[in-house]
Amino acid sequence: MLHHIRNRTYLVEVLPPKQDSENLEADLEKFSHRYLRVINSGYCVCITDNTMGHLSFQGSEIIEEFELPVLPEQVMIHLNTFHRKDDLDNILNTCKYKGIKYLLVVTGDGSIRLPKLRPVDLDFADADSITSVELLKYLNSEYAGIFVTGVAFNPYEPEEHEFEKMDRKIKAGAKFIITQPLLGRNKVIDKLLKKYPEIPVFVEAWMSKNLTLLSEAIGYELPERKDFDPIANLKMLHKLYPGCGVYLSLLKFKTQYDLLKDTWI
Amino acid sequence: MKIVICLKQVPATNDTKIDPETKRIIREGVKAILNPFDTYAVEEAIQLRDKFGGEVIALSMGPPKAEEILKEALALGVDRAILLSDRAFGGSDTWATSYALAKAIKKISDVDLVICGKQAIDGDTAQVGPGIAAHLGWSQATYVMAIEEVSSFFIRVKRMHEDGYDICEMPFPVVITVVKDINIPRVPTLKGRLASLKKEIPIWKPKDIKVDKSKIGLDGSPTRVVKIEPPKPRHINTKKIEGSAPECARSLLRELRLRNII
Repeated sequence: MLHHIRNRTYLVEVLPPKQDSENLEADLEKFSHRYLRVINSGYCVCITDNTMGHLSFQGSEIIEEFELPVLPEQVMIHLNTFHRKDDLDNILNTCKYKGIKYLLVVTGDGSIRLPKLRPVDLDFADADSITSVELLKYLNSEYAGIFVTGVAFNPYEPEEHEFEKMDRKIKAGAKFIITQPLLGRNKVIDKLLKKYPEIPVFVEAWMSKNLTLLSEAIGYELPERKDFDPIANLKMLHKLYPGCGVYLSLLKFKTQYDLLKDTWI
Repeated sequence: MKIVICLKQVPATNDTKIDPETKRIIREGVKAILNPFDTYAVEEAIQLRDKFGGEVIALSMGPPKAEEILKEALALGVDRAILLSDRAFGGSDTWATSYALAKAIKKISDVDLVICGKQAIDGDTAQVGPGIAAHLGWSQATYVMAIEEVSSFFIRVKRMHEDGYDICEMPFPVVITVVKDINIPRVPTLKGRLASLKKEIPIWKPKDIKVDKSKIGLDGSPTRVVKIEPPKPRHINTKKIEGSAPECARSLLRELRLRNII
């Protein structure tokens, strides 16, 4: 994914409609509109997988159902470990068939309706459970050469464990890294860049003003900042991490999207 | 095989409020979901149909809003759905509810198997499944954790209980209630959801199922609730942490930090 960085291609997160949507058709239309807008801008659309355990439709099935165009360099699907095996197979086969090659592999969050993959499902009889590492190993053996798999890095977790886990993720076949949202410089990310200079790293820019939600997402309480300006933070991240790509989460399509074109200079 | 699954719409909250006058759960203004135990009934019915052929019919009794859970069942792959909805059904206890459902099952006709979740998460009585069997005069097995064999004449199931399990063999027609060990429920696909939006769900009134009106609603309910109150809040938010031991430890650490405990 180095060319995404060289070509200044933003990775833009788009959330698919939730299963309990009260106006599914309108939500699907909104999703499709955003998807096409990102594609037409030349950016890469990144579709989440049941974020925070909220049951949502899969990006792959929406792409298939509505015949949305797939330009391989411009579509990324998140994939977590909370699926039935047959659902996982369906997602992967649809991705393969549609030419989607980038997968962001994360452990994810479960809920009462989201069953976790069992070790037996992926032939890891000795594993206690399926984490992103086992899922990566599975993808890179069963679908070798088909998908380019990336992983998440959380600089707010205990450092030693996060790096130890990252080593395992790299060994399991991770080819790129997307960080948790950064608010300015982060020393742990600086270490990450030094430790894995050959791996493309994308820093995440939090595009919402709601930092409480960010605290919930990263599992670490951040100080409230009423003056937090997502666009200013994004510009700062470009300056601080010029060798990195940028992943935009919770981007406001109405108010922020048009500002992007002049931001990554 | 003709299978009926009995589904219930329940409040999606632990913060249940009780009407002090009627002593019934207040459902207005509360987000409602398919009773989680019923999702296992849906899954088992679909798996049986896919294996042995036949038809799966989802049946529910409730206000018009209960159509939502029947749409969900249709999205999951159920063939058709029927809603019993009328003011006359309102206030039915488990006996009157199971009577009405049994009458609907009779009207559907030629049903081989009725599957219910072991209980609903709002009332927690676990009485409706057995009540249906009693009204129909059919064999029943509760707390079924596995269906071991199905032949043309009988079904063999494994029942879970506190001290172990039973293996029961019963001739059709049969009512079973299932526990969560029986399967892993699927989630609706987009294709299924979109198809379900186009399907009509017939609404059956008391006259459609030829019920004795004195046996439904408040008048037909022998249960007299003397007092009811939600359990005292424990002020505990429970979060299940899953993963390997080191990951669980890290997740726990993260949760504790988030709450400023450490």
